[in-house]
Amino acid sequence: MDTGEPEEFRGGECIMVHILWREFTDSFKSIRSILIILFLTFISYQSASFFENNPGLVEEFFSTGGAESSIYTAAISLIVLMFGFLFVFAISHDIINKEIEMRTIRLLVTKIPRWQIVIGKFIGILLFWVVTILISYVILTVISGTWHFLDYLQTILFLFYAISFVLFISTIVLKSKLTMFLGIILGISLPIVGLVSVFSDKWYMIPFKYLLPYNYMENASFSMLILLIIGIAYLLISVVIMRRRDL
Amino acid sequence: MKNIINVAQLAKRFGTTDVLNGIDLTIQEGEVFGFIGHNGAGKSTFINMLTGIINKSSGSFEIIGTSDQQLDDVKAKIGVMPDISNLYDHMKGIQFLRYMGKLAGDTRTKQDYIALMKDIGLEGAEKKKIKAYSFGMKKKISIAQALLGNPSLIILDEPTSGLDPESAINIRKLIVDLQQQGKTILLTSHNLDEIDKISDRVGILSDGKVKKLGTPDELKNNTSSELSVAIRTNPTLTSQKLAELSANWDFNVQFVTTKKKYVVVNVPHDNDIAKLSKELIHSGFQLFELRMEQQSLEDVFINSK
Repeated sequence: MDTGEPEEFRGGECIMVHILWREFTDSFKSIRSILIILFLTFISYQSASFFENNPGLVEEFFSTGGAESSIYTAAISLIVLMFGFLFVFAISHDIINKEIEMRTIRLLVTKIPRWQIVIGKFIGILLFWVVTILISYVILTVISGTWHFLDYLQTILFLFYAISFVLFISTIVLKSKLTMFLGIILGISLPIVGLVSVFSDKWYMIPFKYLLPYNYMENASFSMLILLIIGIAYLLISVVIMRRRDL
Repeated sequence: MKNIINVAQLAKRFGTTDVLNGIDLTIQEGEVFGFIGHNGAGKSTFINMLTGIINKSSGSFEIIGTSDQQLDDVKAKIGVMPDISNLYDHMKGIQFLRYMGKLAGDTRTKQDYIALMKDIGLEGAEKKKIKAYSFGMKKKISIAQALLGNPSLIILDEPTSGLDPESAINIRKLIVDLQQQGKTILLTSHNLDEIDKISDRVGILSDGKVKKLGTPDELKNNTSSELSVAIRTNPTLTSQKLAELSANWDFNVQFVTTKKKYVVVNVPHDNDIAKLSKELIHSGFQLFELRMEQQSLEDVFINSK
């Protein structure tokens, strides 16, 4: 029976939600993701406890003009900046290409539009990281007594960029073994290149300075929104590639 | 009856190879349409284009009143059974069906899915992972997922290949039932007898084109103006011996195939049959049986290549 509603809203709900939900729940099931969650939670707890037990350090930092919240979130922020790409690659390097390799993508594309597969998977992974980082920040909040919203937002924006970049790589490179290898190389090299480019005047570092997220992470300002724009660009390119590809 | 699929000059090129070279075809609402062709003829490529798995190179098609540009709008009305290697092997059977059901907009409860698995002969396999399923079980669950969401057009790529006879019969019955419910079915198969039995119309694909199109009876009757004759002799006639002997005969005899103890040949005219029997006896053969052979879909298929 024709209900007159768009097919992507069958039965009154957006069918992309099911792709999103499966990606989100599957992310928690792998050993890699559990280890990452435990690692981040442990670091958050330990660093917050350390500063809680050493109030002199916090006062000294505060008196020199540092924001009080930053000292509590410094450890988790540093870990995400240095290892964020590596973590996202570890969990999601095969987010698209595995479906293509296994040909299960053929089941999906006969039922829902391709753009919904890409965006649904992206949001599912993003939600996983939103929850994972939230666990760490809840621990920090309980110990420090302050909700570090801007630091949390900054971390999530960085991960938004990283996830869209990883999804883009998984769309253009069709072999999951190759994206796993690339993930290790890029996960290690991108933070180094990105941080060096922020402080470098060399002409060949300029593209990295503006394309990688590190230049926009110095302060919690509107420049962070550029991460959002670049991330959306990666997503749009991934959708266009997927629409044109024979599966 | 309206057309549910309209295909015009549909073509697909992979690199420098033309796999489909201008397909024109219509499939009517409520009919079972069988597509046959040798391996690599382009059957799966055709189905993959209709279902949005691959993009067309040129031409156009309309499916359930919607152009190929808006294919996303009608995906919920199309059930597709692709190759069984496309299943989520790490999922349990019931989990797989529920996931596919959600994507197809199916509103069944968990109990309904358990009942569905029982109906398709997978009772007790609900909590088994698909990778532990046998080939036949994978086929069954693949067909079941194609029926979720109550689609009006069902596309089945070789639904019975590799199945045991009982399972194949059950699937053929299911196809007939689905047609009686008003659904349109497009299927491919290598089993020509099966296509002959259940299809309203048949298309034979060869060299990237639809070479023959019609009801099974139309195809069998129109395939050749020649007469097919099955002969059983002692000693058994071989194609080599026939070629040797017929070189001296004043009428044409064309070897077609051997079927068990019979040799099937084509002759142009009625009176050539009498000449044939006379010549064989004259050459020292004992003629046990000589009968007119009705063309099968297999003959039509072989002749269309």
